[in-house]
Amino acid sequence: MQNTNTIDSSGNGRYSQAESWLFDSEEPILITGASGFIGTRLVKNLLDKGFRNLRCLTRFSSKASKLEALRDHPGDSRIQLITGNLLSREDCAAATGNVRLIFHLAAGRGEKSVPDAYMNSVVATRNLLEASAEHRCLRRFVNVSSFAVYSNRQKPEGSLLDESCSIESQPELCGDAYSFAKIKQDEIVADCCSRFSIPYVIVRPGYVIGPGNPAITGRVGIGTFGIFMHLGGFNQLPITYVDNCAEAIALAGLKTGIEGQAFNIVDDDLPSSWQFLRSYKRSVRSFKSIYVPHWLSYTGCYLWERYSTWSEGQLEPVFNRRLWHRYWKRTRYSNRKLKTELGWAPKIGMAEGLKRYFESCGAGRV
Amino acid sequence: MLKIGIVGCGKIADSHAAQIGRIPDCEIVGVCDREPLMARQLYERFPIRQHFGDLSELLEKSRPDVIHITTPPQSHFEIARLCLESGCHVYVEKPFTLCEDDARRLIDLANEKGLKLTAGHDHQFSHAARRMRALAESGFLGGAPVHMESYYCYEMGASDYAGALLGDKKHWVRRLPGKLLHNIISHGIARIAEFLSGAAPQVIAHGFTSPFLKNLGENEIIDELRVIVCDEEYRTAYFTFSSQMRPALHQFRLYGPKNGLMLDLHQETLIKLRGVRYKSYVEKFVPPVTMAAQYCGNLKTNLGSFLANDFHMKSGMKYLIESFYRSIREDTPLPISYREILLTARIMDDIFAHLDSQATQIRHQGERSIQAAVSVVEA
Repeated sequence: MQNTNTIDSSGNGRYSQAESWLFDSEEPILITGASGFIGTRLVKNLLDKGFRNLRCLTRFSSKASKLEALRDHPGDSRIQLITGNLLSREDCAAATGNVRLIFHLAAGRGEKSVPDAYMNSVVATRNLLEASAEHRCLRRFVNVSSFAVYSNRQKPEGSLLDESCSIESQPELCGDAYSFAKIKQDEIVADCCSRFSIPYVIVRPGYVIGPGNPAITGRVGIGTFGIFMHLGGFNQLPITYVDNCAEAIALAGLKTGIEGQAFNIVDDDLPSSWQFLRSYKRSVRSFKSIYVPHWLSYTGCYLWERYSTWSEGQLEPVFNRRLWHRYWKRTRYSNRKLKTELGWAPKIGMAEGLKRYFESCGAGRV
Repeated sequence: MLKIGIVGCGKIADSHAAQIGRIPDCEIVGVCDREPLMARQLYERFPIRQHFGDLSELLEKSRPDVIHITTPPQSHFEIARLCLESGCHVYVEKPFTLCEDDARRLIDLANEKGLKLTAGHDHQFSHAARRMRALAESGFLGGAPVHMESYYCYEMGASDYAGALLGDKKHWVRRLPGKLLHNIISHGIARIAEFLSGAAPQVIAHGFTSPFLKNLGENEIIDELRVIVCDEEYRTAYFTFSSQMRPALHQFRLYGPKNGLMLDLHQETLIKLRGVRYKSYVEKFVPPVTMAAQYCGNLKTNLGSFLANDFHMKSGMKYLIESFYRSIREDTPLPISYREILLTARIMDDIFAHLDSQATQIRHQGERSIQAAVSVVEA
């Protein structure tokens, strides 16, 4: 379907060129997790592209002030804010009525327990897809997954991790509720979309930086034991600035001819862990850190994993070799598919993105 | 080989499956959740033979000897009844039932069928709690308990559970008669019940919503509770539940006519409190030294348990489950007496009745104030 967006050029980062989208600007679009870190940027991105009929689903507890502010967006956009719980089939039915495109950003994040993460990711996603199938009008489901689903254990150090990389086959051994839930969420998306003939696209953002997410990614290191242990070394960090990420997710929903595909989202000019940590300390706050070489972090993870097994879980297997491979093994990342097939290009360069991120961390604007 | 089934595959079911897996001569033959996906995820992560979306299927196909009920409390009674009717012994997670009447009916049914029941008061079986029980039984207190203080605090805002509860106006916890309190306080109340006598203690309770929650727009959840309990033999207890006080204590203090004991569940420490005071300045110098020595002793014990691979976070649950299974196999006494289960339920009933009447009083006062204001305006 041809849609010409001729929005005025005064808006920051708004589209002015003609684009060929899968949807008309009036077709209803549902965004779950719309009040979240990425969700609010995605809503703004869609508004900038001229989509005017957006339904934003948020949890009861979500602070939707940023979304409320977007209601003042220039143009005659209709942002419908609805609160609901994806674990409720009634809420899912109400949210998905007449919807042509769903961006599914809501997920169980931060839960330490697998059942909680699983319920809020997998069961919620299944409910959403089943409710959509009832209405029979959904034409694309964009599932926001994560890099946490990949397994690069079989790849040598320094290999490229791209969309062809295998998915972790034993997620129950990851020792990480989030990874388990995300892998199972991808599976349920494939299963439900196949059963209900719903076209879908999967996007897998790396670590998303920007105002609103002040944490240092665990890929750089951890402060669990009282002092910050720098584990990343010279590893490239798979990061993406939140606006660039939102743009990629939007394109994954709108571009034609990409059904069933997965796209990794990382920016250009990825910094190394050293570079990131040095800049963070210089720009945000100074703190002591010790570098732990890869051989030592691998040995530590191996011993922790063995002890956890031997002791029948006296220490939970929160550090293990699978985790080490995913987080701290030297790996390269690519956004080639994102650029060639979606026509994506980062709107915010890495230097500017890091600058904005560090500024927000420093100012405590979270 | 004891065949075990688990009904309800949420967060706490993970702990049950993990601890059952550490007990010899038992096997989880089936798990069940009315959300089949939840049953499947538990089945995929633990050594479990089958998973079901329906309880009757689990009972028919897996034929378990023991069922662990780890569902929300509203369903405990009905599921436990069905399992007892099917000939299974039952471990019911806390709170045992929604009220004392239901608890009594289950116990009667279990007795009638020659089956056994226990409640998930596993905190009472941690290492330090067991040491405390042994000391109390050995006469360290110098007689029957005189007074108890039970602190059971909860860091609201620091947990995903609290986030889910506060964010969801339809959350199942809100539908419990005692709401948040109903789902949480039974651990702290059961500690008191263990050392009370009689079956009908007096209970006075005062509860309110903390300013912290009110600022978040929450007026329904009571997260601050103070309770006084006095039994027929004048043994008394204070119970404190707080979401706001820091440190968020999980402590139990037991005072006898001669000495006292102080149990800290978080730190797994047990401190003996000497009843006799030293003379003059000696009281200022010797007790700090003996207390320091006791804390060092606790450190040594905890380290020893850890090195002996017997210091798991849920070691109390393992001990309780193991004791329950032993009671079934060898027909030995239950780890938690039915009297204690009933008394815990009764005290909780009384607390919620007090809070209800407190809420009614406040409502009536509000109505009277409005009427008075209207009368003044009309006059």
